[in-house]
Amino acid sequence: MSTTRQNLPGHLSIRGLTKRYEAMAAVDNLNLDVAKGELIAFLGPSGCGKSTSLRMIAGLVPASSGTISIGGRDVTKTPPYKRDIGLVFQSYALFPHMTVLKNVMFGLEMRRVPTADAERRAREAIALVRLEGKEERRPAQLSGGQQQRVALARALVIEPSILLFDEPLSNLDAKLRDEMRAEIRDIQKRLGITSIFVTHDQVEALSMCDKVAVLNGGRLEQLGTPQELYEQPATAFVASFVGRTNRLRGKAEGDRIDVAGMTIRAPGRHAGTVDIMIRPHRMAMRPILEKAAADVEPTNRIRGTIRHVYYSGDILQYEIEAAQQIMTVEQATASGGAPLAEGSDVELAWRVSDTLAFEVRQ
Amino acid sequence: MEERPVSLSLKITAFFMFAFLLAPVILVLPISFSADNFMTFPPSGWSTRWYVEFFGDTHMIGALGTSTLLAVAVTGLSLIIAMPASYALVRMRLPGANVLLSFFTAPLLLPTIVLGLAILIVFAGHNLLGTFTGLVIAHLVIVLPYALRVLTTSLGGLPIPIEEAASTLGGSPLVVFFRITLPMMAPGIVATCALSFLVSFDEAVISLFLTGPRITTLPVALYQHVETQADPLVAAISVLLILLTLAVVMIVDRTAGLTKTFVK
Repeated sequence: MSTTRQNLPGHLSIRGLTKRYEAMAAVDNLNLDVAKGELIAFLGPSGCGKSTSLRMIAGLVPASSGTISIGGRDVTKTPPYKRDIGLVFQSYALFPHMTVLKNVMFGLEMRRVPTADAERRAREAIALVRLEGKEERRPAQLSGGQQQRVALARALVIEPSILLFDEPLSNLDAKLRDEMRAEIRDIQKRLGITSIFVTHDQVEALSMCDKVAVLNGGRLEQLGTPQELYEQPATAFVASFVGRTNRLRGKAEGDRIDVAGMTIRAPGRHAGTVDIMIRPHRMAMRPILEKAAADVEPTNRIRGTIRHVYYSGDILQYEIEAAQQIMTVEQATASGGAPLAEGSDVELAWRVSDTLAFEVRQ
Repeated sequence: MEERPVSLSLKITAFFMFAFLLAPVILVLPISFSADNFMTFPPSGWSTRWYVEFFGDTHMIGALGTSTLLAVAVTGLSLIIAMPASYALVRMRLPGANVLLSFFTAPLLLPTIVLGLAILIVFAGHNLLGTFTGLVIAHLVIVLPYALRVLTTSLGGLPIPIEEAASTLGGSPLVVFFRITLPMMAPGIVATCALSFLVSFDEAVISLFLTGPRITTLPVALYQHVETQADPLVAAISVLLILLTLAVVMIVDRTAGLTKTFVK
């Protein structure tokens, strides 16, 4: 495979990476560049190939075809212990028969760092993850969160050229997860380590990472900043996987889409069967009796009937029957106004620019 | 293991079950301290003369020495053979590994008398009858399936990510095995040693085929003694064997934890 020099390859460069099990492709022709110091998420449902991709980068799973290079060095055939990679596992994977200090020192020992030096660096790494005083403990004597900090220190202390995270927070409870998220992000930025973070949690991916690669069925659906993914999803899968959507199916002719007899406009031109998606909180809703304000921007309007109202403190969620579908609309609660009653007829309105339309491949 | 409250009726049932199973063993203890010339219960008088007799009996002490040496050699060899074998079977994902494991552990299912006869026929042609080497090889046939079973179970229960972590940190496969895998297998290794030692030490049927005037093991010597004499000497030896077994079990419990080692 020839590498063209027109755009600089990243610190981590993946070309045509494929993993086949029998006839099934777990990862199918993955191309990706990660710049130095970048934190990038592999996001997707289980079985999408994100973990397999990560394990191929780490060298734990051999690639069927394609190349992986780190800092310009082709490592596709390099065994894991010569790749200079740090990996943080979901299960922490600490050495149960060693103390925290010995766990963190292991990687330095393997690199033949003199013991005194290794111990000093290990203590620094332990301090970095705020575990001073726990050096002589065994992993079993630590909480899940503390164990994951040890795993992080153990991966960081060898100053790897790439740091990989395989769903490191999924075994932690919600509060700890938020804390660790911020902490990992902070340490990663401070040390400027190129990192890949595998997760199935979109909030984790969007809030932590510089860029997100959405994978589905072994293929890369879209690579972009969190904002790009949310505002300009490249495929219907990305639109529905990242954030929540209302989905309508219709027939398109140019920028007009016919949905159950109603016309909805969308940016761009389309043809044939089209899936339309609208974010629940980008829709406005008002009783039909009220007079519509003049539209400043092109707006779609459809009528419907409220079927259910869910009150959850911050947010009011309405389920509205419209266009022969149940649509969800969210509004922030406000003081002094009662929610609209179930059964009332309403009009839904949203900007044409907030309408995401995807042609359905048939 | 989870601790659950046990009902009184279950405790009583368990007590009688154990009493039934252990009664013959417990009976050996008073008989061993008999002053009589024949095994009778209850003994008409008490003494330690049969223990003194045993330690003065050069034939019996020689057999004890052979059995101990044999058990130690068999334990060491079974570990050296079964360790790499279980690693290959569990970790290297060889095609047909399951079939191989079943094949290797098949001797467990064979009647020992059949194995003994087969070994006798093979050994007769190779001058191995009545030799220490012959006994070691024959005992390995019996002990290896146990060792392989315990070690493959122990290795199979280890989480692979721990070894993978060591590998990404720069540990070559050999370093990972000795620094990470082996220490984590410690309970399995202790269990294998205990089991191998006891199985070999206790083996009588096959040894009966292979021992002779030149060399004999303690179980065979005991058997032959009982055939000709009915004195309480065997009871005294039995008590010593029970104590040895208890000692091994307690060592396992202290070093690796009994339930952790044998109950998975």
